[in-house]
Amino acid sequence: MTYQFINNDHGRFACSQYGPEWAGPDGDRLTLAIGLLQDTPSGQINIDFFVQHLEFEPSIEVKSIIEAATTWTVNEDATTFLHAHQNKYIVALTTSNTLSKYPAFQAKAYDAEVQEKLSVAWNKEVFGVSQGAYVSQAQHIVASGSRLGMKAQVDENRLIWPPRQLNSTAQRIANAQERLSETATILTWTRLSSAGAPSEFSERAPILGGVSTVLVSFDKGPQGVFMLADDDENTPKIEDTVRFEIRRLYGQDGMIHYGTKAILNNF
Amino acid sequence: MVDVAMVGAGQTKFGNHPFGLKGMWSEAIEKAIESVDNDFHPKSVDEAFIGSIAFGGSQLGNTAALLTEHSGMGGVSVRRVENACASSGFALRDAWMAIKSGQADVVVAGGIEKMNDLSASRKRYWLGVSGDTEWERLAGLTFPGTYALTARRYFHEFESTHDDLVHVSVKNHMHGFQNEVAHLRKEISFEKANSGFMVADPLTLYDCCPTSDGASAVILVADHLAHQYTDTPVWVKGSGAGSDYLALHDRPSITQLCATQAAAKRAYSAANISAGDVDLAEVHDCFTIAEVLATEDLGFAARGMGGKFARDGEGRRNEGSVTINASGGLKSKGHPLGATGTGQAVEIFKQLRNQVEPTRQIRDAEIGLTHNVGGSGATCAVHVFGRER
Repeated sequence: MTYQFINNDHGRFACSQYGPEWAGPDGDRLTLAIGLLQDTPSGQINIDFFVQHLEFEPSIEVKSIIEAATTWTVNEDATTFLHAHQNKYIVALTTSNTLSKYPAFQAKAYDAEVQEKLSVAWNKEVFGVSQGAYVSQAQHIVASGSRLGMKAQVDENRLIWPPRQLNSTAQRIANAQERLSETATILTWTRLSSAGAPSEFSERAPILGGVSTVLVSFDKGPQGVFMLADDDENTPKIEDTVRFEIRRLYGQDGMIHYGTKAILNNF
Repeated sequence: MVDVAMVGAGQTKFGNHPFGLKGMWSEAIEKAIESVDNDFHPKSVDEAFIGSIAFGGSQLGNTAALLTEHSGMGGVSVRRVENACASSGFALRDAWMAIKSGQADVVVAGGIEKMNDLSASRKRYWLGVSGDTEWERLAGLTFPGTYALTARRYFHEFESTHDDLVHVSVKNHMHGFQNEVAHLRKEISFEKANSGFMVADPLTLYDCCPTSDGASAVILVADHLAHQYTDTPVWVKGSGAGSDYLALHDRPSITQLCATQAAAKRAYSAANISAGDVDLAEVHDCFTIAEVLATEDLGFAARGMGGKFARDGEGRRNEGSVTINASGGLKSKGHPLGATGTGQAVEIFKQLRNQVEPTRQIRDAEIGLTHNVGGSGATCAVHVFGRER
């Protein structure tokens, strides 16, 4: 499991495997929050306090991201509150609108120099590397259920993912409703050197030694291409299985675009 | 129906070209006109089609009119054609159809791209925009990545290894070494080609074509005008095109290009030939694995046998069943994106008229083929050429 969870009298808390000082190469308080909400029975949630502690502005509003990626509903009158530690990478679910005490978490060893370099790289990419491939803001919003919630359309008993407008007889396909399988099988993979990576990843790729991508097959047919996360110690193989988590994808024009990344199972 | 003859063809040297867009295009047109045996006046052109992806990585408009204005064709009906790296392959097809339909008698098809005066960051941005930007690119893929995914899957499905790709690289560098217009004119050993740094695992530097500047153009005329310009026209016997899903993940199989298969079937049918009739083929080897797939999709090798085809040297000049990429292909001759498709046609024009350097002439060639692919296979144009009508 990538995240650590602690339950106590104050609420339910989460941080990354790296502990409270770092959310990981492509993590932040929002990705931690989504991990926490996905691991907790759903309900309604108030995010007013949480959104005050995000490092960067998301490309679509936090409410939309949470509702696309989890089964929770954001409601300003809800009595369950989402919190984030203002200095550390810990998030919490509580029934109190104030929270001052956070528990201690373990931390997997990591290279602090890499952490610092990645932090600088994210800043450069978000604000300095604006030339990425054009994907309209409207498309990010329209496809959020599929990108973040992994929901597929159903057409003639087939699952369609990523989403399409019209089918092969030019009939409109209903919006995505059915969730893809939680794991998928690797059909093929590659690791791009930093020189070969898209410009969106130009600052991070050299630090990470490149970026890995997998083409996977879900149950019932759909296939997808995903960036591999947390693969620094493991090499994928064809027929390995992966699971999925919401992570930062890239930054552009001062905002972070979030999406789904694959993580090797069995490690 | 009208038959279509190619009476002129010319191109710049591919590589780092000292000229800008206007200068390169003018040079290609100048050489195309020079290659016409009898008098040819640019004012006789009825239509022009110019392939380019992005004119130096920038979204300039109305560039086709600018280029014809600077090459003696001011006032001609012209437009830009964009289908990624297959842009001028489709420009050639549009030109062929314009004559076939009887709407034009004299047509220029060409292509151009300026790539080597870009900053590294702009080039990295640009080289990925012809794929699926919403899902593939944001998963970290550029074209080396998509073809690497294909290569690894190909090795998994068939009896083939990276060594087969090395054979493709060595062959194409051997062919391109003697081509005066090639970008990378150097022969490489198997050992060197097998030791390049990893670009996208399992593809190394020597599996990837260079980014080149270049322009190319061909002059097509209707059959009744062919002998006004030359006694030895090259006939464009067939044209076929196809398309496929843009993203790999939407394709039932990533180890074959359905767009190529469809384009080849249509071109062979139009030319009334089969794959076995082809003597030389300029195929779209943007990455070595792409040539392996092309030899299968065009029908030169059975499915899954493209690796063995390369391993056995079947595509070597004047040795195998069909010469593949006598020019050096994209791997050695170079790949100026929008100029590549008609650049392939220039090579076929010269080969079928015995006008290439003597050391690299294909003996007794009667039928030539060009195969121009856009992106990772979303678009493809195939043309069949012959000495005989």
